[in-house]
Amino acid sequence: MGSQTSLLREVVRHEARVLVADRSLLLAGLFLALLIGYALYNGLTDTRARDLAIAEVLQQDDQRIENTIAQLRRVMAGQELPDPFANPADASSVGRSMGARHTAMLSAPLAPIAFGQSDMLPGYYMVSVRSKVNFMYDSEIENPWNLFSGRFDLAFVLTYLLPLLILSVSYNLLAAEREQGTLRMLLSQPLGLPTLVFGKIAVRAGALRGIALIVPVAGWLLTRPETRAADQLVMLLIWAALVIAYGLFWFALSGLVNSLGKSSALNALILIGCWIVLVLVVPLALNLLVSAVSPAPSRTELATQTRIIASDSYTRNQDLLRTEYYHVGKPESLLPKDGRFEVPARLKAFFLMARQMDAEIQAALDRFDEQLAKQQRLVNRYGFASPAILMHEGMTVLAGTGVSRYQHFQEQVQAFHGQWREYFEPRIIEGIAITEADFETMPQWTWKEQDPGVVRSDALLRTFHMVIAAVLLTILCIGKLRRYPVV
Amino acid sequence: MSIPILIATRDVVEYLRDGRLLWTGALILALLATALAVGWQRQTEARAERVAAAKLDYDDWLQQPERHPHDAAHQGMHVFKPEPALSIVEPGLIPYTGSTLWLQAHRQSEVKFRPANDATGLQRFGTLSAAWILQMLVPLLVIVLGFNALAGERERGTLRQVLSLGVSPRQLLWGKALAIAMSVALVLLPAVVLAVISVLAAVEDGSRLDAALRLGWMGLAYALYLGIFICLVLAVSARAGSSRTALIGLLALWVAMSVVAPRLVADLSRSVYPSASRSEFNKKLDAELNVEYQRAWNEQVGEGTAFGTDVPLSQWGIGLKVHDHAGYAVMDRHFNALWESYSNQQAMQEWIGFLVPIITVRAFSMGITGTDFSQHRAFSTAAEHHRRLMQDIISQDLVEHADGHGESHFEYLAERSLWATVPPFAYEAPKAMEAARQNFRSLLILAAGLVLAVSLMLAATPRRVVA
Repeated sequence: MGSQTSLLREVVRHEARVLVADRSLLLAGLFLALLIGYALYNGLTDTRARDLAIAEVLQQDDQRIENTIAQLRRVMAGQELPDPFANPADASSVGRSMGARHTAMLSAPLAPIAFGQSDMLPGYYMVSVRSKVNFMYDSEIENPWNLFSGRFDLAFVLTYLLPLLILSVSYNLLAAEREQGTLRMLLSQPLGLPTLVFGKIAVRAGALRGIALIVPVAGWLLTRPETRAADQLVMLLIWAALVIAYGLFWFALSGLVNSLGKSSALNALILIGCWIVLVLVVPLALNLLVSAVSPAPSRTELATQTRIIASDSYTRNQDLLRTEYYHVGKPESLLPKDGRFEVPARLKAFFLMARQMDAEIQAALDRFDEQLAKQQRLVNRYGFASPAILMHEGMTVLAGTGVSRYQHFQEQVQAFHGQWREYFEPRIIEGIAITEADFETMPQWTWKEQDPGVVRSDALLRTFHMVIAAVLLTILCIGKLRRYPVV
Repeated sequence: MSIPILIATRDVVEYLRDGRLLWTGALILALLATALAVGWQRQTEARAERVAAAKLDYDDWLQQPERHPHDAAHQGMHVFKPEPALSIVEPGLIPYTGSTLWLQAHRQSEVKFRPANDATGLQRFGTLSAAWILQMLVPLLVIVLGFNALAGERERGTLRQVLSLGVSPRQLLWGKALAIAMSVALVLLPAVVLAVISVLAAVEDGSRLDAALRLGWMGLAYALYLGIFICLVLAVSARAGSSRTALIGLLALWVAMSVVAPRLVADLSRSVYPSASRSEFNKKLDAELNVEYQRAWNEQVGEGTAFGTDVPLSQWGIGLKVHDHAGYAVMDRHFNALWESYSNQQAMQEWIGFLVPIITVRAFSMGITGTDFSQHRAFSTAAEHHRRLMQDIISQDLVEHADGHGESHFEYLAERSLWATVPPFAYEAPKAMEAARQNFRSLLILAAGLVLAVSLMLAATPRRVVA
């Protein structure tokens, strides 16, 4: 055994020298570094742009609320008569727009890894006393053609391209030696074939995975200070484990195909075939399957349902809706009296109608969330069908751009919407005027991060699945190598 | 029999014998059949559902009780994008564009409910469809069949033999091209039959010809696309030192073209023609709308604030009309600028498609099917026109009836007959020939790509004298 270890060292040293001399590994490595560098740049700039957009939206909120408070002061001091539909003393105006705030999900420290759903699902919603149907259906706007093409992010480079580079430097590990006749010579030494293959793979794996790990980590640590926190370093380690396991899988697969003793051209064909099936076809097939087993409810039906509820609530609130705006010709009615402010009947009706809409549509909306969560569970359960799925999902989870974190956000938004409405309901219905102090007691949005334990175990589980697959392939490979036709 | 045909038949028999055609062909065919079945199920379901929902929505609009017209406008109506018949074959951008639009008072809205928003992250790997298989996998079949077409003959020494028989290198090359084309056709034939039957069965009697025409155009585009690949493969095979080098080179080329380039090119087009994010778009639109509203109220109602304290209720009908009309031009400007940036991005990518034909064939395939962005835009525009029609009918009714009521504006309830004056929304997608005309550029780019590929192949023709 000891002799095999020293031989392994010898093989590694020799291979490294050969590979440096013929430049192919160097080229593959440089190419990988280039791809990763570009993907990193993409991820970093886009995450920054998203964060800036959210910061700007929040800052606009601050500005608007400051203006509302200032106007309220002027109105109370009798210096100004407010607008009927933008009255800082009117709870319906304040709850609807003048005092409303955006709820926002902050991007995770590792967000630049994967765009995930971030180019489709909104990272912020304007919550007001209006109905959910007015804001929960928002989505990011982006050229659908580009959504279709996908983004060039690190998740793409590592999931799609890293395996190809791995295969390109390893598809002819043995076949080339055999075709050149050097394999027979090598094995005339007391050198086991597994040792030889392992040594050859170790050099290549070390170089490629080293680049795949070092370049991104250096990039993040340098440009995103938030990744330097202890808990984020743990996340980085898990990410590294994910990448290593994924690389391991592809090297093991390549080792196995090499051990079959076919020509190098056939090896290349078999390996690219595996790549196509595992990276291109299986994810699409699983997507198809998942949406067939747990289909999203019909959005078309939802539209119909919305219409029916709205129709009904217009009829129910007809009397309020027919009440005139009193302020016309009576400007004093726009001012609060003794802390009371009678909200105009029509605005009150709008509030009641929104409340009715939300109460009656909730079950339908919940079904969408449930079905999506069920789909995600299926993807989690059957993701092992392809390491590409495990890798991609694992990275979106770590990046915080996957479905589960967005759902976590939407749940919080809905809960916050409930609190916001609860706060304004008595004020609108009983006609209590908004005071300056109210702005302090209005519900405040705080984003609660997903449980990091869940994220960690989620990513680790996927890593574990890949390691198992890699180990199985390695065992098969060693078995095959015992019967390898050297001559 | 002419020599190329002779060579081609011999090669096809060879492909069948060595199992390449059987294995890869069977795999592709199985995938195609699955994709078509799924496409059929999705298409028929979506179509039936939307027709039913559109009728339900409009019926409910008609059956509204007497109501203040502006309340009716606030409730508005939903319109649904018709599902094209060929989406069975090519779902195109359907996962990334919604199909439901809520037409409401005051503001143009986005088409909501992208199916991808209701799907997991797996959706971003792509959609399994017949078109996807044709674009991604069939070129691989071409590579597998053709990588050693000439390189292999040279390695075995048979190239010299064949040429010494008096077969010209060109004839050999055309024969090889024909062999690959015939094999691909053999694999695709059952799928094509299946696709034609399912598409023709899915459309109403009146639009069969239209669907058949679209299928014809589509077939032409894919023939050009695969032709490009056949020539490229043979060019590489003729020039490569060994069949192994040819294979590796071709696979690398395929990865670069099909997997890497679309994303890179999308990035490039985005940086040349930047498009607004949601926050930018809304911020600019709101700001300009406010300015425009204020100006219109000042000029036409004599009051700076919309529905301000000094506007008597007897002027709310006219005020509403002024308000809406002030917004139309602003919304047109902003939405058109956004959509134009998308069109420019796509056009730029299609031009690059001269070198990366998958992009161009995608564009044409979606365009001729009616699942592309330009038809989504046409639908959105038509829907917005309908919204404005509804708005105008309603403001006019308010001007005529409610404004006369003096101070009791909201007492006014419109007769139920008013609802029927807003017609049902009818959107007809461009016909086959119109769609072909709109996408002719992509077809030309593909044809130019084929010319380039043929020239490359001919330039790579092996010399008659082999040293």
